[in-house]
Amino acid sequence: MLLPLTALVLAGCGQSSDRAAARAATERFLTAFRADDGAAACAALSSETRKALAREESGPCPETVGALELDGGAVTKVQVAVTNAKVDLAGGESVFLSEQAAGWRISALGCRPDGPPTTVPFACELEA
Amino acid sequence: MQNWVRDNGLGLFFGAIFLATLVGQALVGHADFNHDQLRHHDDPISLGRYVLSSDFGSDVMENWQSEYLQFTLYILMTVWLLQRGSPESKKPGIQGLESDQDQKVGEHTTAQSPSWARFGDWRTALYSNSLLIVMVAIWLGSWSVQSITGHNAYNATQFDHQQAAVSWLGYVGTSDFWNRTLQNWQSEFLAVGSMAVLSIYLRQRGSPESKPVGSPHAATGTES
Repeated sequence: MLLPLTALVLAGCGQSSDRAAARAATERFLTAFRADDGAAACAALSSETRKALAREESGPCPETVGALELDGGAVTKVQVAVTNAKVDLAGGESVFLSEQAAGWRISALGCRPDGPPTTVPFACELEA
Repeated sequence: MQNWVRDNGLGLFFGAIFLATLVGQALVGHADFNHDQLRHHDDPISLGRYVLSSDFGSDVMENWQSEYLQFTLYILMTVWLLQRGSPESKKPGIQGLESDQDQKVGEHTTAQSPSWARFGDWRTALYSNSLLIVMVAIWLGSWSVQSITGHNAYNATQFDHQQAAVSWLGYVGTSDFWNRTLQNWQSEFLAVGSMAVLSIYLRQRGSPESKPVGSPHAATGTES
C-alpha cells in the first residue's frame, strides 16, 4: 500500500507546479495572440515550432504568427506527463507543450481530434 | 564488527551490488532519456529530475515486481510441488503444509522458537504465512507503482505525438503495460525453473543451493 501511495503523492506534488507552468505558457501565448503582440506570442513557442511556422508562412515568427487561425478560449483542462503536457481550451482546440530548459513551451497548437483521440494524432494548425 | 560483517556477508553483498547497479541504471537511463529528448528536439533534463520521473520509476518497478512474483510463486509452489532429484524440492511424501510437530508450532515449539509460533491462534496462522504475505505485498505494491508510473510515461509519449491521454484503466489494458510485464515474468520463470531442474544433474561445491558433489542425481531435497 505504501509504495503506490508514495508514487501517487510524488507524482501529484511534482506535477502541480508543472501544470501551473504549462497553463501560464498557454495563457501567455493566447493573450499575446489576441493583442497582436507577435514577439510575445512567439516567445511562448518552442524553437522548433517557431521554425515550423517560419517554413510554413515564409517569414519570421513575430510577423507571421498572427496569420494562424485559432479558436482559442479559456483553459479548461491541463494534463502533464513527465516533460509533455496537453492543455484543452473552451473553443474545442488543444495545445501541446514540452518542457524546455527555459520552461514550458508550445510544441503544437490549434489541435483537434482527427479520429479516435488516443490512437490517431490530432490535426494541428501548427506543430513542430 | 568484523564478526558482524562475516555473519551478514550475503545480505551485505547483495545490498551493496543492488545499490551500485541502481545508481548505474539511473546514470545510463538518464543518458538514454536525454538522447531521446535531443532526437525529438527537446532539451535534456537533470539527473535529479530524471530519477524522480515516471520513466525511471517504471523501468525500476517493472523489474522489482517480477522478481518478487518469482520468489512468491517459488515459496508457494514448493509447498506442494516436487521436483524429484532437485535440492530445491522437498522430499517425496511430505508435500503440503506438514504437521505441527514437523513445523514446530503450538505445543511443539522449543525455547528458541519465535513467540508467535507458540500461541496456536491467529498469530501463529499469520506468522506461519508471514514470508509469503510480505512477498505478495511487495509484488503487488511494486506492480501497482509500475502501472502508475508506466501510465504517466505512456501519456508523455501520447502528448509528444499529439494524441490524447489514456486513463489508468485504459493503460493497464494496453500492450505496452503487458509487454513490459510479461517480458520480465517469462525470464524470471525460466531462471527459477531451470535452476530447479539443472540442480538435479549439476553441482556447485560448497553452495547450499546445490546437492553435495557426490550425491546421486536421484537424491531429492536434503537427501544425500
